[in-house]
Amino acid sequence: MADETSGSGTLDEATENAALAEVLAAEHTAIWGYGVVGAALPAESQALASASEIAHRDARDRVITLLAGRGVDPVGAAGGYALPFPVLSPTDAAALAVVLEDGVAAAWVRVLDQAAEAGTRELAVGSLTATEIRAVGWRGLAGQPTVTSAFPGLPEQ
Amino acid sequence: MSAPLTAGPRGFSRRTLLAASAAGLAVLATGCTSPAADEREKVTGRQADELSAQVAVQEAVVSAFVAAGAADPALAGEVADLAAQADAQLARLRAAAPGSSTSAAASSAGAPPAPETRAWLRGQVATAAASHAAACVGQSGARAALLGSIAAGLAGQDARLA
Repeated sequence: MADETSGSGTLDEATENAALAEVLAAEHTAIWGYGVVGAALPAESQALASASEIAHRDARDRVITLLAGRGVDPVGAAGGYALPFPVLSPTDAAALAVVLEDGVAAAWVRVLDQAAEAGTRELAVGSLTATEIRAVGWRGLAGQPTVTSAFPGLPEQ
Repeated sequence: MSAPLTAGPRGFSRRTLLAASAAGLAVLATGCTSPAADEREKVTGRQADELSAQVAVQEAVVSAFVAAGAADPALAGEVADLAAQADAQLARLRAAAPGSSTSAAASSAGAPPAPETRAWLRGQVATAAASHAAACVGQSGARAALLGSIAAGLAGQDARLA
C-alpha cells in the first residue's frame, strides 16, 4: 500500500523505482569493486571481502526481482569502472571497500527519501544497516581514525 | 570507456539529498506546509507523534553513554567519539521534531559496574537502533531518511562495541 502522504504529492512508484534503479547501479558497482578489493587482500582477509561481495550480490538480486515484478527493466552493470585511487596494498583495498559501502549507503538513503511503499523502506533500512556494519569493519582495516558514522548515507551538516 | 567508480546514485549528489532533507526539515520546523514546500513532506499527526517518540529514544541513548561513563571511566574515554555521534544524532532529530520535549524517562541510571558496563551499553544502543529502524518504515521522505540513517549509525556503533 502506498504511503498516505504520497497521494497528492510526489512520492509514488515512479520516484521509488528511480531510486531503486540508482541503488541497483550502486550494487553493480560494489560487486565489481569487491573483485579489486579481494585481489589486493591477503588470504586472511579474503573472507570479509567474499562475504561483502555476496551480500551485495544478494541485494542486487532482490532489487532486480522487485523492479522486474513492476515491469521495470533493471539497469545493467557497466562494462568497467574507473578506480578512485590506485589499489596497491591491503590498506588501499580496505579504503576502496569503504568507498563502495559508503556509496551504497547513500543510494539506500536515497531510496528511503523517495520510497512510497513501507515495504520498500523496510528493505532499504535493513540494507543500509548491513552496509554500515560492513563499513565499520573496513574503516578499521583501512586505519581510519573513526570507524563509525553518525549519519551513514546522509551528508554531514 | 570506464564509468567512474562512484557507488552512489547517478544524477544524485549528496548535496541534492541535503537540500531535500533541509526542505523537509524546514517544513517540520514551521509546523505548516507552505505552497512552495514539497508536498511530499507533509507529515501526519501520527508521524509527528512517532518522530517525537524517537527523540525520546535517542535521549535515552545519550543518557546511556553518560551512565556508562560514570560506571566505567575507562570505557568513557574509549567511547567518547560514539557519545559525540549520539549527541549529534539527537540534535538532528530534535531539529526534525521541534515539538518534542525532553523526556523525564530518558535517564539511564542503571548502568552496571565494569566489566558488565560495555555489554549493557551495547544493549542500549542496539535497542535504540532497532526502534529507529522500525519507526523509519512508518515515516516518509526526509524523516524516513534521517531515522534510517541514524538507525544504521547506531547499528555500526553496536558493531564497534562488540
